[in-house]
Amino acid sequence: MALRDVSVLFRTPWIIITRGLAFVIQVFVFAYFISTLIHIPGLNFWEYYSIGSVVTTIASISFVIGYDIFEEAEEGLLDYLLTLPVSRRQFIIGRALGGAIRAIIYTIPMFTVIVIFWGFNQPLSIASALLSMFLLAFGVTGMAITLAVSVRTANRFDVVIALLELAVSRASIALYPLQRLPDYVKGIAPFSPVSLASWNAWSSLAFSAPDLLNIAALGAFVAVFLGLGAAFYFRRLEGGIYA
Amino acid sequence: MFANFAIDLFITAATFGNLVTGQGVNYFLYIAPGSNLITSMVAAFQSGRDVWREKYIKDLTSYLLTLPVKRPVLAFSRVLGGVVRSVIATFPGTLVICYLYGIILSPKILLAYLIVGTFSLGIVGLSMAISAFSSSIEMWVTVRSAIQLYLSFLSALFYPVTVFPSALAPIITSNPMTWAIQAFRQLSPTQFPQVPVGDPLGSILVLMGPSLAFALLGTICYIWYSKL
Repeated sequence: MALRDVSVLFRTPWIIITRGLAFVIQVFVFAYFISTLIHIPGLNFWEYYSIGSVVTTIASISFVIGYDIFEEAEEGLLDYLLTLPVSRRQFIIGRALGGAIRAIIYTIPMFTVIVIFWGFNQPLSIASALLSMFLLAFGVTGMAITLAVSVRTANRFDVVIALLELAVSRASIALYPLQRLPDYVKGIAPFSPVSLASWNAWSSLAFSAPDLLNIAALGAFVAVFLGLGAAFYFRRLEGGIYA
Repeated sequence: MFANFAIDLFITAATFGNLVTGQGVNYFLYIAPGSNLITSMVAAFQSGRDVWREKYIKDLTSYLLTLPVKRPVLAFSRVLGGVVRSVIATFPGTLVICYLYGIILSPKILLAYLIVGTFSLGIVGLSMAISAFSSSIEMWVTVRSAIQLYLSFLSALFYPVTVFPSALAPIITSNPMTWAIQAFRQLSPTQFPQVPVGDPLGSILVLMGPSLAFALLGTICYIWYSKL
């Protein structure tokens, strides 16, 4: 199942081109020019934004599994998938794992560009950043699966998932430092899973100081949403809307 | 659309307002109209997507062509319909920007809607032209994204034109977003650096050039592809 999800994403090269182009322009045009206007002592805003862009991109790609699952149910493809000789448990874990693996494969070229461009060369720091990104992808995949099987109409699903994606990424410290966020966002931003992952990635890469507490919090996020996603998905498959 | 606009304005633009300081300008007010123009751009592109869906998904184009109106009228009315939709979708957002600029009770509010309408006219035309040449929705989305990136990041939306190297100046000044945002900023009683003081009508007139050209292109493409 995981391999199938990985190959599905790479069968639509236009999506990869679009997101790749958006990433390049965002980091090397927008972030470069806007950083000439931003002066925060002790912070290289362009570097901070570059790392955050990779993290928000991985979160964004992880949400795509939700669209896939929703479409499969609408198009009747799910019935075929359920006839495959794998257990329901393997099926569900395979979907979540596939969503996370393809998100990490997809963002690795962008991550590599950033690592080379900014000269990050500590293997442990790079591994720590990648671990937090993988945990984020795994958790967001679980969140997207939970949504895809909880919301029943296509329009409502589109709106809910788009707003959630926007809120999780924007109300975070991935792209902007916490002290410069508006007051009404400051209270919630540190708890966004995107914030946890981006903070660990940035502190690992820029200061070689992984934040273990953040990694643990991301692990909890994964456990909660993977569990919820699996429970909802399992219930829908066995006697729910897909029965 | 309004939720999208609100997140753009009250999180992203507000954050940039806190980030960009010492430029002698309230940066939040400087980029605030950008949130509304981005929303109008998204709404305007939706019209082109509808035209694409009518042809490839819903198979509605043949029915529309049986209606008792001439094809050029039908085609241009599709463009105008998209503009009206976009202006309606951004109606509350435009009000919010006018409130922030302190012109909500001034006749200038009409100019604000004129700017949104003129800008949308070009984008609707452009999105309909893309629909005529895209055989798959993925291709359509890719071209749309490329245009959105150009309009958003290679314009004066986030930063003054002087930030760019001189080699990029022609690209920035020929961008319709640059003129739309400049016209909006000229509505504000606050003077922004590098925004010419005076009547926004001049900027609106410049904006009308590409907008009318794109609207014409969209109309011609719609007529051409409906014959296929």
